[in-house]
Amino acid sequence: MSALLSIERVSKRFGGLTAVSEVSFAVPEGAIYSVIGPNGAGKTTLFNMISALFPPSEGAIVFDGQAVHRARTHQLARLGIGRTFQNLAIFSHATVVQNLLVGMHHALKANLLSAALFWGPARREELAARRRVEEIIDFLEIEHLRDLPVGLLSYGLQKRVELGRALAVGPKLLLLDEMVSGMNAEETEDIARFILDIRDELGVTVVMVEHDMGIVMDISDRIAVLNHGSLIAEGTPAEIAADPAVIQAYLGRN
Amino acid sequence: MRTGHYVESYEKQLALTTNPVTWAWTGALLLGLALFPLLVGNYLLSVAITVGIAAIGAIGLNLLTGITGLISLGQAGFLAAGCYTTALLVADYGWPPELALLAAGFVSALLSLVIGVPSLRLKGLYLAITTLAFSFIITHFLLYAEALTHGPYGVRVENLRFLGLDLTQLDQLFWLVLAVLVLTVLAALNLLRTRVGRAFTAIRDHDVAARVMGISLTRYKLAAFMVSSFVVGIAGGLMAFQFRFINVDLFNLLISIEALAMIIVGGLGSVAGSILGAVFIVLLPEAVRALTDLLPAALTEMLSTYVYEVRGLLTGLAIIVMLRIEPHGLIGLWRDAKRYWTHWPLSV
Ligand SMILES: Nc1ncnc2c1ncn2[C@@H]1O[C@H](COP(=O)(O)OP(=O)(O)OP(=O)(O)O)[C@@H](O)[C@H]1O
Ligand SMILES: [Mg+2]
Repeated sequence: MSALLSIERVSKRFGGLTAVSEVSFAVPEGAIYSVIGPNGAGKTTLFNMISALFPPSEGAIVFDGQAVHRARTHQLARLGIGRTFQNLAIFSHATVVQNLLVGMHHALKANLLSAALFWGPARREELAARRRVEEIIDFLEIEHLRDLPVGLLSYGLQKRVELGRALAVGPKLLLLDEMVSGMNAEETEDIARFILDIRDELGVTVVMVEHDMGIVMDISDRIAVLNHGSLIAEGTPAEIAADPAVIQAYLGRN
Repeated sequence: MRTGHYVESYEKQLALTTNPVTWAWTGALLLGLALFPLLVGNYLLSVAITVGIAAIGAIGLNLLTGITGLISLGQAGFLAAGCYTTALLVADYGWPPELALLAAGFVSALLSLVIGVPSLRLKGLYLAITTLAFSFIITHFLLYAEALTHGPYGVRVENLRFLGLDLTQLDQLFWLVLAVLVLTVLAALNLLRTRVGRAFTAIRDHDVAARVMGISLTRYKLAAFMVSSFVVGIAGGLMAFQFRFINVDLFNLLISIEALAMIIVGGLGSVAGSILGAVFIVLLPEAVRALTDLLPAALTEMLSTYVYEVRGLLTGLAIIVMLRIEPHGLIGLWRDAKRYWTHWPLSV
């Protein structure tokens, strides 16, 4: 398997604080890859660099042959990277359908004029987009919610809509930042099942940040462990579970 | 209990409305409006024209402020730009009014880039102040660039024939304003059901998520500025037809505040709300004037001396009261009422 995403000696400093320090790893195409580590380890910072919200202080991020560290944020969707956020980032006034349609933005073409007229191609592409969105709604089993404002849904369902919006981007790579924190056991299991289906049925590579060790150990192919911004271990779940540095980082600093 | 109205196909879900009742009402309303000039006198007709133009301007502002979340106190500036463009092109350059009206939209849209580009990094109050400053610069320019704008003497436009209509006749001007309003409503509703409108609201609701979903903030904020001021510029152009003699005094700060009041009172982000708000804010001083006729003469006199202050006061009051009772504005009240009746008797 070749690497779809490679992180090459990436560092990020915020003023005097080094949030991410010389981290390197490669995510094989078709993998479910987890990034774990204690609070403040730099996981979200790493995600923010992969989604080009800010550039690394040093190092390179290469996705599918493209230099992400030089890209603009809004170009990433077209490159094929979708993501969810640690803190909910849905459009809460909009309905489920409208949220997912925003994810399809880059796939549509209407400009100001054709949109205002809503003729021919503008109309046809909206129809096609509606169909595509409906497939995602079926996939995530949220048919009954499609026309509700997302703000009215439970936290778990809002997360699910956010996942749907990231899928609507049509990504090759999906970044999931703490999908299941704050979810109950049943919701967590649903999400684990969805992630497996996303990889197996849709062929999307998944990188996820998780604190829930159950889901991480169950479904990951490989795991990277960050601590204080540095990569302290990388390997299969079995290797990580047995790694003394990881046990040390998680169980205490003696 | 009235049963709900269900929609089966995507084709139909894309439609603005598939409900035959809504169509019937819209048709009846339009017919009524078209016949309006035959039913009322000149005074009411000129109030209706003011309402119509204000509604077009409010829809324009709502696209920027209500939909995209970019607060603007620059309405007066864009109206002035549009109004002067039309007036000067007709009066000094002999353009046909049809083209001069379109030009109002384009000039205003181009000017919005002047403010849009530096505004890309500004939010909330800072943006509001910048747009306010912009508006002052425009009116200042109009006042002092005398060679171009006639400065303090104002501009007079005559012989207004527009697609066969004689715009010096109130009824024909009314029909033009109505037609432009209908086109504006359709264009705005269309915009809102496509990727462009969704990008606008996404920026308002969560700009980081919007960017990650592939929306360029630069492009869509500028687009919002341009569409909004195009529409507001057209409203300004219509003002040139309405007043036929224009000067800078028409475009004071109160105009910008009233425009904001219209969209807040009517409903932020709602096209129908913009119209309701325009009706409300334009009619408010009219209603007060009608009431003051019942008051003692001394009070009436005081109110007419301070007419400007009274309007400002009423506008402020309307904003505060509406934010207290229904932050979604008149359109929110209407939706609540509708929900109540459709679900009656289950709604109590
Ligand atoms: N934009 C920023 N500016 C300054 N400091 C930041 C910024 N973003 C993150 N940090 C700091 O960088 C460090 C790493 O934060 P990060 O959010 O990446 O951690 P995390 O591993 O995602 O933690 P958690 O599990 O709590 O989400 C923290 O000390 C944080 O305070
Ligand atoms: Mg985090």
